[in-house]
Amino acid sequence: MTPIKHEDEALRQVLRRAYQEREKGEVTDQWQEEVMRRIRELGEIQASPSFLAMFEQLVWRLAPVTCLLILGLTLLLSSFDFISGYDVIQLLMNSTEEITLNQFFGL
Amino acid sequence: MDTDSHSSADAEVVDQIVSGDVNAFEILLKRYEGHVVRIVKKHIPFDKVEEVAQDVFIRIYQSLPNFKRDDSFKQWLSTITIRTCYDFWRKHYRYREIPVSSLSEKHQVWLEEATATKSSQSFDERDSQKKAREILDWALDRLSPEDRMVLELVYLEGYAVKEAASLLGWSTVNVKVRSFRARKKLHKLIKEML
Repeated sequence: MTPIKHEDEALRQVLRRAYQEREKGEVTDQWQEEVMRRIRELGEIQASPSFLAMFEQLVWRLAPVTCLLILGLTLLLSSFDFISGYDVIQLLMNSTEEITLNQFFGL
Repeated sequence: MDTDSHSSADAEVVDQIVSGDVNAFEILLKRYEGHVVRIVKKHIPFDKVEEVAQDVFIRIYQSLPNFKRDDSFKQWLSTITIRTCYDFWRKHYRYREIPVSSLSEKHQVWLEEATATKSSQSFDERDSQKKAREILDWALDRLSPEDRMVLELVYLEGYAVKEAASLLGWSTVNVKVRSFRARKKLHKLIKEML
């Protein structure tokens, strides 16, 4: 029986040899012309990055800060009760004897 | 021409192109065509080599303003080539269709014999390159683009983890872990076939 390590190494050698023996074809002559045609179509390259590229960079740089800010605000907001000012007044007007400000704010 | 003078010559051509001489790109294209095609051929199916190599040169052209004169142009170019190959597999992976089994019993018998044989001579005698390639492609097609690239670079080409990490733009830890897992997956796939 062949040891597992030896088997793995043998397999690796077989695969490596197969990998290195890729088909030996060359690219065609028209290939270079086609690349240059596409390059000329693109025209001159901009030495300084475009507005879009700069904007993209800025967005990615600010992304972690934005995420943290959103998370922080979400936590902060979730600790408050969502009652509109109108509802608060309604509540106080309807049962002034029962609800004091202390009760309302949970103090 | 030694490496230093080659690098400065490359940097001069890059300056020419960036300052508006589009045709000067032909110098870089002729100088590095062989190098790029050699890398692409290792990672991409032969019928797609021309297309991907073309994309590599377009990407190189568009990235020229970002090239730093102190860096080696050849190394920079190799990095773009590897990443373009990786992008090819990422796109391909989304639309791939895996046949249930494209390998015959002959492949299985051959693989069993090949892994059991110590001498490389008997491997060559079997007229087996095609079969080996088919088995390897079959297994690689079942791996994710990340596993495939890292496996090809580290396990099959023998790149150091650090080099592979620099080519792929990943951390060395990521390459190490992924390379180990990918190798396990490949061995598992092939052993399941046996």
